Amino acid sequence: MSNSIIQQIRNVARREWKRMLTHPVYLLSSIGAMLFCYLFFLTLMSEGLPRQLPIGIVDGDNSSMSRTLERNVNASPQVEIVGKYASFTEARKDMQKGRIYAIIDIAPGFQSDLLANRQPSLSFYVNDVYLVAGSLSYKDLTYISELMTGFILQQSLQAKGVTGEENLMPILQPIAMDTHQIGNPYTNYSVYLSNVLLPGVLQMLIIMFTIYAIGVEMKQGTTREWLSRGNGSILSALTGKVVPHTVLFMLLGLLGLFLLYGVMGFPMNGSIAWMALAMFLFVMAHQAIGIFIIGLLGRLRDSISIGMFYSLLSVSFAGFTFPIEAMPRGVQIFSWLFPIRYYFKIYVNEALNGADIRYSLIYFAGMLAFLLLPFLVYPRLRNTIRQQDQSAIKKQQIQ
Amino acid sequence: MNNFNKSNFFSRILHEIRRIIYIMLDEYRIILKDSGLVVIFLGATLLYPILYPSIYRNETVRDMPIAVIDESQSARSRDLVRRLDATPDLAVAYQLNNLEEAKEPFYKQKIHGVVHIPKDYSQKIHRNEQATVSFYCDMSSFMYYRTMMLGANLGIVEAGKDIKIERMNAVGITGRSAEISATPFRYNKNILFNEPMGFASFLLPVVLVVVIHQTLFFGITMLTGTLREEKLATVDPKLRQKGRFFPIIFGKALCYFSMYVVICSYILLAVPRIFQLPHLGDPLDIIRFFTPFLLAVIFFSMLVSVFIRNRETSMVVFPFFSLVLLFLSGFSWPQSNMPWLWKTFGMIFPSTFGIQGYLKINSMGAGLHQVQFEYIALWIQAAVYFVATIFAYRLQTRTKERKSMIADCHSA
Repeated sequence: MSNSIIQQIRNVARREWKRMLTHPVYLLSSIGAMLFCYLFFLTLMSEGLPRQLPIGIVDGDNSSMSRTLERNVNASPQVEIVGKYASFTEARKDMQKGRIYAIIDIAPGFQSDLLANRQPSLSFYVNDVYLVAGSLSYKDLTYISELMTGFILQQSLQAKGVTGEENLMPILQPIAMDTHQIGNPYTNYSVYLSNVLLPGVLQMLIIMFTIYAIGVEMKQGTTREWLSRGNGSILSALTGKVVPHTVLFMLLGLLGLFLLYGVMGFPMNGSIAWMALAMFLFVMAHQAIGIFIIGLLGRLRDSISIGMFYSLLSVSFAGFTFPIEAMPRGVQIFSWLFPIRYYFKIYVNEALNGADIRYSLIYFAGMLAFLLLPFLVYPRLRNTIRQQDQSAIKKQQIQ
Repeated sequence: MNNFNKSNFFSRILHEIRRIIYIMLDEYRIILKDSGLVVIFLGATLLYPILYPSIYRNETVRDMPIAVIDESQSARSRDLVRRLDATPDLAVAYQLNNLEEAKEPFYKQKIHGVVHIPKDYSQKIHRNEQATVSFYCDMSSFMYYRTMMLGANLGIVEAGKDIKIERMNAVGITGRSAEISATPFRYNKNILFNEPMGFASFLLPVVLVVVIHQTLFFGITMLTGTLREEKLATVDPKLRQKGRFFPIIFGKALCYFSMYVVICSYILLAVPRIFQLPHLGDPLDIIRFFTPFLLAVIFFSMLVSVFIRNRETSMVVFPFFSLVLLFLSGFSWPQSNMPWLWKTFGMIFPSTFGIQGYLKINSMGAGLHQVQFEYIALWIQAAVYFVATIFAYRLQTRTKERKSMIADCHSA
């Protein structure tokens, strides 16, 4: 009877494993969902940086100069001309259909104006509704236009007797830019997204799974049997319940780290051990949030709705797509309430920047703080469980 | 005789319509009585379209803090620093002595970029050489990188312009001809459909469509799961005589459809105008486009709900799928660069076409004929999911009837 707390927890945990295996829908779907997302997000953006984005050209000049420009554009790996249009309206219509992300418009008389020193103009139009494709083609077309300017300037300089790269370059480009993309030298788009989006999926599964596992006991009136395995101790009953999930989600999380930094070779400039610790705290913190929500609300149906709401907002408040500092001040405060924010910071420090661990300690502490949440609702949760228990006993007596 | 048949036919039709309306009202009653369903159908659809525009109200990063290490300490270098600071994108927050010093604020994420102007910067400019300036970018977010590159390019080009002219003068190209040689042609950069290059204008139209898709999906699957759990037949058994499920399917669909006509008008037409998001499209085209979209989502959700046994199932299992749907639509990683497998997979879900169509009509001002592909695809989806739902319901009622028959036999 008087078995130790460890034994109680072990008994409850054993029961939980059995429950998970006898109704495998939730176990399989959470494993399946995570594996699917690993596969989906890591293969979706496997190109790293989108290449050969389709763009269109309206060549009203049809001269050797406009054809040179066209060749230059096609030589760039980033964009590719897939459509030639007779008029701008035609090109715009195709852009509205989503077939091209940018249009280069060369007016008639471009070459003759150029040769006559009349400074003709060249227009390009970028569709920024698709922000990524738009930004990238914008950057590329600016670069190509600069290149063309340089090419023409080079010809007039050569006419003046300035030859050789060492003499030409200082005039063509007086100040050169030497760009260092810290931690992500190839501007791999998948690195921006997958590193945080995948933990984002994991936290959704953890929160929903935790709420469900506890809430379903109350809903189905099985709290009595659940508590008896823990010898009536609610602390062991709760611990025993969540520990199998901790193991499951930790394994899924570690698999994620292995896929990101091992298989995909994403930047890892710090120590993978710290990332693993961060992942461990990440899993625990979200379990704590799950317990907090079901403890606070008591009913499975309400808790599920709130859990979903929270876990969706989590993705926004990680701040990896749109920076938190750019949000309105009143909104910024909320980012403190999401462990994924701290995980993101640790990832940036460790994996991307390779910063000293002392910069990340505060974020580890932040995630640890979430582990206090279950204690806040512990009395309330205990009452709810006991009430369920008593009403179950009454039911039995009536029967 | 013929006349009699006709009136019989009409009265049957009338009878069916009455049944459909009864079932529709019954469905409304169920929804309004269930607080969880009200939260999804009315709460989430009202709240999310307000919440997200508030979060992303500022559209873009302005005056991103950077550090400058000016080792040149010359008039030329100070000019460059001033020009960088003057760009709308960047703000010089720290002036430091060396790269080592920049590490502290960078690792504390107080700055998102570092500019290093080397010692020989102004000497090189005086000696007619090419000077080099180093830019270090924070790559933790695409927005930081983009802001840094926009600001840096602008500053460098501005600072280089005068030097270029001076040098051309030196080789004998002077006056107007120097200006023309420096800029032989002008290029106009035009951003279409998303003027401020804003994040909200980019993300929110997509989120709005996903909200419609997912609230319908979660609402319908939750409703079916609840009814099944409470061992209630999907609809009042009196109405299910002869195993007729057509009125059931029509009645339910009509309930969701009529409810979402109102909700869609709010989300797709009112919200973009209230929050000043892009809204170039013709409202009539949007309404016409979203008719097959709603039908496709409704029948898709009804089909999935046949497999749902419990109230919570879909909400526990599928929340992550909202993210997958978002990315399948090709709003972020462009559709043109998606592996064909995922492009094909995306065609299963109405949201893929719904999002693309809405972006094109609402944000880019396309007409309905320009989104014909998406429009037809949605009608096909609606038809396929409708037929599939009929088969699924038929299969279900049959097995249920067989079971109840067996039960009857046993009790007898």
